Amino acid sequence: MAIKLKNFSRSTGTKFTAFLLTVIFITAAFEQLVILSYRSINLDLLLVNEYQTSDYFINHDVNNALNDIILLFENPSIEANNKNYYYSITDGERTYFNATVEKIKQSDTPLFLYENGEWIIGEDADYGTPYVYYPENYKIYLTFTKEFMVERQQILDDSKSFMIPSIIFISICTLLAFIFIVYLIVVTGKKSADEEIHLNRFDSIYTDFQLLFGLFAVGIWFSFIRDYYYINYTNRVTAEQVFHMVMLGTVTAIISILLGIILLSLVRKIKAARFLKQSLIYTSCYKISDFVKSFFDDRRYAHYPLTKAMQRRQNLFILTSAGMVFFAMLFFAAESPLFILPPILEFIMIYWYQKENKIAFDKINQGLQESLDEQMKSERMKVALVTNVSHDLKTPLTSIISYVELLSKEELSETAKDYVNILADKSERLKHIVSDLFDLAKSTSGNMPVDFESIDLKKLLEQTLADMEDDITKSGLTVKTKLPDNPIRIYSDGKKLYRVFQNIIDNTLKYSLTGTRVYVETEESQGNVNVIIKNTASYEMDFTPEEVLQRFNRGDKARTTEGSGLGLSIAESFTGVCGGSFKVDIDGDLFKVTIGFRTY
Amino acid sequence: MDNAKILVVDDDREIAGAIEKLLKLEGYEVIKAYNGLEALDILVTNAIQLIVLDIMMPKLDGLSTTMRIRSSKNIPIIILSAKTEDSDKILGLSMGADDYITKPFNPQELVARVKSQLRRYMQLGDMGNINLSSQIMVGGLFLDTEKVQVTVDGEPVRLTAKEYKILELLMKNAGIVFSAEQIYERVWEETAYSVENTVMVHIRRIREKIEINPKEPKYLKVVWGIGYKIEKL
Repeated sequence: MAIKLKNFSRSTGTKFTAFLLTVIFITAAFEQLVILSYRSINLDLLLVNEYQTSDYFINHDVNNALNDIILLFENPSIEANNKNYYYSITDGERTYFNATVEKIKQSDTPLFLYENGEWIIGEDADYGTPYVYYPENYKIYLTFTKEFMVERQQILDDSKSFMIPSIIFISICTLLAFIFIVYLIVVTGKKSADEEIHLNRFDSIYTDFQLLFGLFAVGIWFSFIRDYYYINYTNRVTAEQVFHMVMLGTVTAIISILLGIILLSLVRKIKAARFLKQSLIYTSCYKISDFVKSFFDDRRYAHYPLTKAMQRRQNLFILTSAGMVFFAMLFFAAESPLFILPPILEFIMIYWYQKENKIAFDKINQGLQESLDEQMKSERMKVALVTNVSHDLKTPLTSIISYVELLSKEELSETAKDYVNILADKSERLKHIVSDLFDLAKSTSGNMPVDFESIDLKKLLEQTLADMEDDITKSGLTVKTKLPDNPIRIYSDGKKLYRVFQNIIDNTLKYSLTGTRVYVETEESQGNVNVIIKNTASYEMDFTPEEVLQRFNRGDKARTTEGSGLGLSIAESFTGVCGGSFKVDIDGDLFKVTIGFRTY
Repeated sequence: MDNAKILVVDDDREIAGAIEKLLKLEGYEVIKAYNGLEALDILVTNAIQLIVLDIMMPKLDGLSTTMRIRSSKNIPIIILSAKTEDSDKILGLSMGADDYITKPFNPQELVARVKSQLRRYMQLGDMGNINLSSQIMVGGLFLDTEKVQVTVDGEPVRLTAKEYKILELLMKNAGIVFSAEQIYERVWEETAYSVENTVMVHIRRIREKIEINPKEPKYLKVVWGIGYKIEKL
């Protein structure tokens, strides 16, 4: 049950409905308020039942009547025209009245009597006294006509019968809106699945921007109210007012939606403790302070462990120099003889800076030299290692091959002869692998001597193909060449490039589908030449170009017994040594090697 | 020649032993030494016709041994080494060695080279007047323009007319590189057009006839991307 309630209260639909209702209630309450204001109803009247007991009666009706009476009394030329009240006023000499004192006293409407500088109203009168005072010799009687009082009472009753339900309506709407807002504040950011606070994309907007936008929206709302709100003193609602109400209602709804979204976003941020962190002011302050801090806690120099001290010194130097310039200019402007002081300090600084830096530079140079020496040493060791291992592998291999040869010359049984043949084959293969391995090791370690000379790439390709003619014929493949008529002059090592093309063509012969063609083409463009060798593989090539070039990787993953598997690696490495580029492309069954050189 | 005495020098006893047996099977007399100093001692007391010499040996290495031998004797020296760089080969040959074989070697090739060197050494005495204008000699390769005959280490080689002409051109200009077009124009006496393949095929055939190991030619070399030449030895 509790879970169901939780699921319900946190579901998007519920939240959305609550939000919508909040907006509706707020708008409704506001509209009602506007209607109330259009009716120009005095809120004072809300709390009284009898008109005569209201402050409005004293402040408005009584006061006005008195003003009129005094005006008439003191300016006899003015015509009296008010028929709402009865009065009698005298200063002992002159008397003005529109009703006799007896008639006034007998009236059952509120009676106001001014005598000896004081207002006298009946002992148990339920209405207040006027607050204006006149000379002590004035004696004033004032009361209102029955009709006037009844009319005023009627207006009061009408207003109340309209206003009380209105106010109740406004209160209920406000209360409901408040409840929904509280509900939304509680559930916003929460999902039924967990207790985490989930922020949405809107929450990534800086808090300051949201607040500013909210303020802006409120400002717009007020400006609308100012422009479209006015009181007309009739009891009817005019068509213009209806239009204004629609206008204000729409604006209120939109503004409350916006404010609601902003409010809930801010609430979510507060819940997720990101209210400050998500603000531009905080973020920028943090970044600035972090930047400043980074100069002091070594982070700025973390990537330069060797020159840390130097960089710190440099920053200090720049900063203090700037300070010195500033002070020198300040003192100079103030015509103070002190201006000589900063330059002197600056000279001291420069001396110190230079001296410290010299020490640092010496250290760095020394370290660099040591590391270079170390590197050279390890490079030499690598070469020595290759040479020694090479010798150590070749010597026993020489014995094996020689004794296998001797063995084959002995009188042997058929089986033994077979074994010897296998040994001969395998030792021969081992010889090739060892030889390839050391060629590769040498070329990749950069210890391969290269004889650069001007050669014709076209000729080289033709020579290579002619040299391998027997192998090509034996393989049953056709080699299609597309070479230009003119020589392709490149600057490279012909002997090594022969090795490159030999290895590649050897590879294509081994792994091409029988009966297909091998294409050897050249492409010249803008000082570059590409040699492209393409063939159709006889098997599915489920490897990447990178894998095929990795040492010891073989075209077919099931290793066969011929070759060392280093052919393409050697070709790639040798091409690099010869100053060319090497690329392998695999597209379906198409295997393509592209070798690029600069022509001249 | 049957009783030619060969000195095998290698610090690896098994290799020395294997070479000994391989050569003995061919009917040569073999003496073994395990370092350069031993080799020099043996040379003093024995009449040796050929030396097979390793480079990396204790006490006295192969190159120094070669130099010492060359100061008094001109017997053929075949260097046998695990060093495969061109620079190593050139160094060995310039020290006075007649041939250079890399380890691991093909036993049959070793035997063939030993035979070839011995033939040349034995025949040198007969060739008193090799500097005749009709005779060209490059290492063991001998070409007589008068007799129109080519021999390798004294063994006659059968060449076709074109092959002979190519070889003659290259041998006369040993050390100079000829492009396929140049060779074609001089040998075929026609304008050369797309002749790389034709020339290369002939070069390969010549190689198969005159070289012990056509894959690692000693005389007729392809200068990749440029042309062809006979090495000046």
